[in-house]
Amino acid sequence: MSAVPLLETRGLTMRFGGVVAVSAVNLVVREAELRCLIGPNGAGKSTFFKCLTGLLRPTAGDVLFRGKSLVGLGSHAIARLGVGIKTQVPSVFDGLSVRENIWLALRRRRGDDAVKRRLPGLLDEVGIAPLADRLVGQLAHGQRQLVELGMVVAGDPDLILLDEPAAGMTDEEVDRLVGLIKALNVRHALVVVEHDMQFIRRIATTVTVFHQGTVLVEDRVESILVDPRVRDVYLGKQAA
Amino acid sequence: MRETARAAASSLLVLAVGVLLLLALPRLLDLHALINATIFASLAILALSLAFVWGFAGILSFGQAAFFGMGGYTYAVAGINLGDTTGAIALGILVPALFAALLGYFMFWGRISDVYLGVITLTVSLILFRLLNGTAGDAWRIGDAPLGGFNGIPQTPGINWPGRPGEALTPDGVFYLAMALVLLVYFGCRALLASRFGRVMVAIRENERRAELLGYDARRYKLGAFAIGGGIAGLAGILFANCVFVSPTMFSLNYSAQIIIWVIVGGVGTLLGPLAGCVLVQLVTTSLGSAGWLNANLMLGLILIGFVVLAPSGLAPLPVTAARSLRRLFPGARA
Repeated sequence: MSAVPLLETRGLTMRFGGVVAVSAVNLVVREAELRCLIGPNGAGKSTFFKCLTGLLRPTAGDVLFRGKSLVGLGSHAIARLGVGIKTQVPSVFDGLSVRENIWLALRRRRGDDAVKRRLPGLLDEVGIAPLADRLVGQLAHGQRQLVELGMVVAGDPDLILLDEPAAGMTDEEVDRLVGLIKALNVRHALVVVEHDMQFIRRIATTVTVFHQGTVLVEDRVESILVDPRVRDVYLGKQAA
Repeated sequence: MRETARAAASSLLVLAVGVLLLLALPRLLDLHALINATIFASLAILALSLAFVWGFAGILSFGQAAFFGMGGYTYAVAGINLGDTTGAIALGILVPALFAALLGYFMFWGRISDVYLGVITLTVSLILFRLLNGTAGDAWRIGDAPLGGFNGIPQTPGINWPGRPGEALTPDGVFYLAMALVLLVYFGCRALLASRFGRVMVAIRENERRAELLGYDARRYKLGAFAIGGGIAGLAGILFANCVFVSPTMFSLNYSAQIIIWVIVGGVGTLLGPLAGCVLVQLVTTSLGSAGWLNANLMLGLILIGFVVLAPSGLAPLPVTAARSLRRLFPGARA
């Protein structure tokens, strides 16, 4: 194994006018790691993800993917390098069927025949096979989340970013999601943003806490959950 | 699956009606009416070009008239200079397609928003309209072809058999060709939409950001779609030039607006709808125009307002809606 981490940000900063949404964040994710990102609303988690995927161009700092800088690359180019994202508000093709959504994600890198072979199995794995012919725009929030997750999995990216994947899901769907994340984590690295502490407890090993655009603390999940500083920022008490 | 069934049904309908018209009209119509029918066919192809670009690639182009006129002018100028129209036809498709690609390059790589895209395409067609209007006099000629200012080029050559210059097609022949091309363009678009390119194009219309996050370069697909639309509009211009002759009115605001009305009346997001919308609106406006008791443009405006208010998704979904309300009225019957 090489020493070059899968993902590394160096002093990553994103400013909107006078507001600093992400401030000098240094974060390292190794190959096949599972990292959870938590933090109160407005801590800069989603903005951080947007900087990683080329949806926003950071004001300062650098993003390195296996040592290669991603800053200035288009979203499609970053996706092709092996970064997949499930956005906070599901970003799906509403006017198309579930099957077509997954087809499009699979067809980017595979030939027609390979897509045909992979498609039914993938629909099953994600648990959306019964919905295959429905229009995505007519589905419930949790189901749309699963469709988007299926699209991310279809691209087989080395780094998977999940922004609040459990939001709007039924318990059954959450169970499936946990299983999926664990299965994916065998070969892929994941960064998961989530508010639901029950969910975090079920999947997390290492947790990074964001607060006001910076990394407040980074540690093993057991220590994070008992850390008074973390409790303070979540309950709104001003951290000293 | 329902989607494919519907597409298959409309394909069959177009094929049946198209072949029927192709065989029947030359026997039923006098020469004047047949030439009019040929003009309708050329405009139907123009309608398809916008139906494709707007309805499936999500690019609202106000400039299809620019490619339409450019196709006609290129064909006329090349035809006069070459003597043979076969190469002129190829150029009449290629030049507007390349021009659309160039224009598209600046618009899509510049990440221009949809509204400005409409403004730019409209402006380009008006600039060309102005430009060609001002080409009267001997100074304005390309090779042997005088551009003729607002009079256009009355000596626009008729299509001849490939490799046999001087042997022009009869009006019947041009009609057959135009109808065959309507079918060819329609089924060509269908095939394209069923291909990987077409499906990604529709995905980009649905959600460009998601398509990008999956690794598709949206700019390339939009550029491709826009260039194809330009080529189709050019082909329409060639056929139109054969029935009338080329003049700057082909670039006029009148045409730019009409094309959009055809597509709205027919239904954005379908191919069959705009085809029907074009023929229907043309029939109404020309018959009113010749009757002379109501201004055709006024009628066009009323039709547009009527559709936007009463049937915003156009003619295309009406059979489905009608079937559904029939079923509601007669719940026992199986429609």
